[in-house]
Amino acid sequence: MSIRILKAGLQTTLQGAPFRGHRHIGMPSAGAADGLSLALANWLAGKSGGAIAFEITLTDTVFEIREPCLVAVVGSAEFVRINGAATPQHQTRAVFPGDSIHIGPSLAGCRTYLATSAEILAEELLGGESTCLAAKLGGFHGRALRDEDIVRFSQKGTAGNIDRITPQALRPHYSDDHVLRVIPGPEAENLVQDICQKPFAVGTRASRMGMMLEGPPAGTGKFGNMPSAAVFPGTIQLPPSGKPYLLGPDAQTTGGYPRIAQVIRADRHLIGQLRPGSRVQFVQTTIERATEIYREKLSLLTSLLGNVDLW
Amino acid sequence: MAKNAPMIHVCDDWISIALADRESILAAQSAFAASGQWTEIVPGMDSITVQFDPGLLSPDEAASLARQQLNGATSVNRASIPMATIPVCYDGDFAPDLAFVAGRIGIEADRFPEWHSTRAQQVAMLGFMPGFAYLDSPDPCPAIGRLADPRQLVHAGSIGIIGRQSCIYSFDSPGGWPIIGRTPLHLFDPKQEHPALLAAGQTVRFETISRQTFDRWPEAAAK
Repeated sequence: MSIRILKAGLQTTLQGAPFRGHRHIGMPSAGAADGLSLALANWLAGKSGGAIAFEITLTDTVFEIREPCLVAVVGSAEFVRINGAATPQHQTRAVFPGDSIHIGPSLAGCRTYLATSAEILAEELLGGESTCLAAKLGGFHGRALRDEDIVRFSQKGTAGNIDRITPQALRPHYSDDHVLRVIPGPEAENLVQDICQKPFAVGTRASRMGMMLEGPPAGTGKFGNMPSAAVFPGTIQLPPSGKPYLLGPDAQTTGGYPRIAQVIRADRHLIGQLRPGSRVQFVQTTIERATEIYREKLSLLTSLLGNVDLW
Repeated sequence: MAKNAPMIHVCDDWISIALADRESILAAQSAFAASGQWTEIVPGMDSITVQFDPGLLSPDEAASLARQQLNGATSVNRASIPMATIPVCYDGDFAPDLAFVAGRIGIEADRFPEWHSTRAQQVAMLGFMPGFAYLDSPDPCPAIGRLADPRQLVHAGSIGIIGRQSCIYSFDSPGGWPIIGRTPLHLFDPKQEHPALLAAGQTVRFETISRQTFDRWPEAAAK
């Protein structure tokens, strides 16, 4: 009742829905960096959208199946091979003991999700099971998976006869050119227009916590530090260097740099696909439009996938 | 609306409210929590932020609710919040910056534990890492500032001070605060009903313990 990690890759963690309601005690969201790709993979495997799955980052990975189950792969990986045979993403696949799943590297985009119909056993805390790397809690012993780790499944058995294909309209396009819609943050001043003028490149300092953006400096020296205040995934801070810092799912709950902008909730799942070198064009929108976009997106997803959540 | 209504900034799923003093932040936190309408309620040093579900509330609706709840907020009786006593060992192994900090304050290093443990302290907020506590003190203290070169590893339980503000590290992590002691207590334990040892608004008293007491502390032994 398990799956064995033959090649763990750069950073493979167990991730599902984020932790909620604990930011006041410093608990980050954690959870899947790209909640939309996670939800699709889980739907294909007959699971609820926020169920725990494998989140794979950039490099290739190999898994060995040790019990019959259904699997699905959705994300930026270049290819999927089951026992060496090319297998498309976006559809349910039955696998059997001894089968190997080779998930290719990402040539564009950053993250891929492997969902299984069997329930993956993960460490539970604060009502969630995602991996919180900073606190070394949740997921698989609070850490990224290593070669030869064995991840166990619960005894509950699999979802049964599911055979699904992602509708074309819902298939994300994985690229290294992103448009992220933003609204002004509390310390925006006039800086939102500044950061929307030209695209930024994601710097090499990029992780699930956040990423430095390289480009024309915005308002250098205009702000220093400020008294710490709440930040969220998708908050864009402006440190004194003038290089914006975009927060990811593992971001701290509070920060002392000006919060100049916020990526709208409907677009935050795209942050999970940013990698060093990705180009990001920010486009300013309004909070009213942001709400409409979010509700439209959620309603489209829900109509096709059932109960889905974005964060 | 009161003429000194706080400044509110509305994003698509969170609202940040500037509040000048700790009492107002605590009162707002209590009112927001009582409403049950927010997915997150996060106190800051001079602000409080609430997050909402934009599928259920529009930003306008959320802002109206926040304003109503702020208007109805009543001050929290500080006496009802339990005080926390934090044992601290000032042994040299745990306090690499104690001499530097004592020098900035202008006292002898061996007087530092007494100076530190007699100061009034309260938890301003938690953040940075699960259970990591920011404390502030109304008592005067010269600015000490952060280390020029942050440490790669600060041990869990370490107590940092930069002036009126102090902090307690909840996990081993990098850090830039000058470190003057260590507590054997766990600041974050997800197995507890309240995983964070401290909460915003609590009064904290530091109590000096010896190295021997620290080493025999049951929680330290479990580390």
